[in-house]
Amino acid sequence: MTDPPGSGGSGTARSCIYLDHGATSWPKPPEVVDAVVTAMTTCGANPGRGAYTMALAAARLVFESRRACADLLGVPDARDVAFVSGCTEACNLMLKGLLAPGDRVVVSSMEHNAISRPLHMLALAGVRVDIVRADATGTMDASDVERAVRAHATRAVICQHASNVTGAIQPIADMADIAHENGALLLVDGAQAAGHLDVDLVALDVDAYAVSGHKGLLGPQGVGLLYLRPGLDATELLQGGTGGGSSEEESQPQGRPERYEAGTPNTPGIAGLGAAARLLLEHGAEWRADEQRLFRRLKDGLRPIPGLTVFGPASDEPCVPTLTLVSDRIDADRIAFLLDRRYGIAVRSGLHCAPWAHRTIGTLDTGAVRFGVGHGTTSDDVATAVTALSELLA
Amino acid sequence: MTPEARRFVAYGFASVHDALAAESALKAAGVAATAIPSPRALGELCGIALRVDPAQSRAAEDALAACGLPPRASAEIDDI
Repeated sequence: MTDPPGSGGSGTARSCIYLDHGATSWPKPPEVVDAVVTAMTTCGANPGRGAYTMALAAARLVFESRRACADLLGVPDARDVAFVSGCTEACNLMLKGLLAPGDRVVVSSMEHNAISRPLHMLALAGVRVDIVRADATGTMDASDVERAVRAHATRAVICQHASNVTGAIQPIADMADIAHENGALLLVDGAQAAGHLDVDLVALDVDAYAVSGHKGLLGPQGVGLLYLRPGLDATELLQGGTGGGSSEEESQPQGRPERYEAGTPNTPGIAGLGAAARLLLEHGAEWRADEQRLFRRLKDGLRPIPGLTVFGPASDEPCVPTLTLVSDRIDADRIAFLLDRRYGIAVRSGLHCAPWAHRTIGTLDTGAVRFGVGHGTTSDDVATAVTALSELLA
Repeated sequence: MTPEARRFVAYGFASVHDALAAESALKAAGVAATAIPSPRALGELCGIALRVDPAQSRAAEDALAACGLPPRASAEIDDI
């Protein structure tokens, strides 16, 4: 540590027990950092445009990163995976690119603003949005979704794969069956799942899946992915240069992945994400087991603390390693501040960009404190967090 | 340089991604291919094409067909 806990410190990262993995993973594996730096220092040319040696190196870097990401997500054809700026862009693209005025959608009550705000815009334009409420742990009941879908003609079922508030994992495969049996699409926000779960998009039978690169996937910020199943074409959000062999055409190329990648890509970010994907292909199972073990220890340590309410599935239920909590004595913002200043613990208070989810679990008016475990979290980190909460609430 | 080597076959693809996938497939099939700027003879002025020795064009086309990456266009071009 460079700063003692409670010093108010310089805010340097090394002084931090980082438990905000629900927002972004940190620290990044050295291989990811190296890939970003290498991309910037050795092949910083524009990928897919020129065909000189460095431009080709950049293009091959993007190509190999796309393949690694597709492999990680169980996607047979890497062309079905588009690089975007992040999960928010991916969600906007799948919603605005696939829905039109007059459509009706059924959506879970646990969605992040990356889903709920585009849906708000679409509702203003004439899309009917029907919300199905999750239970108190944030988990959706597929039979509730089925009833809602059968009530009226439905264009799409929209659901997160896992909650950024409670860690609940939603029954995506069941929802795919329900959607498809009723002629609807299943559109999934996978921000909290990719990397924390073993995701196989073909097995899940989703139609579209939005991915954050910088959370469980361990990549840099500023890059994400959108998967669209073969044959399902969304209207692109942006038109512009794609570098391929169709520059003379007035209209955006319709082939994948270029259709969804107008403009110069974030090559360093894509390089970092590709490196992260390769690491996860090799070590992901082991790292996920570690995360789950530490997360159960955290949850089991926090739940007995008097006056604390911990939201999320029971410790023996599957979940991603994220939970929120509230105290009956100290406001969430105060807990987060004191954890930072007294113990050097980084957690986030508030609504976590998910007011729908907080309304669902009953914390919309108070907010909550979120803890997220991830790659790099240690047993000592968890023990310190449990001790700190016990002391603060004693 | 032999007279044959002064000519080459250029293959164009639907996208840069496909061109690089084709490059990878040809390498796996033992066919030497070089990525080049798309030549005008392919009917496009941007993007990446693959250059193959005419003597290996049959093997290249077989390999590309086998992996589902048939060229969008091809042309035999005199080198300079």
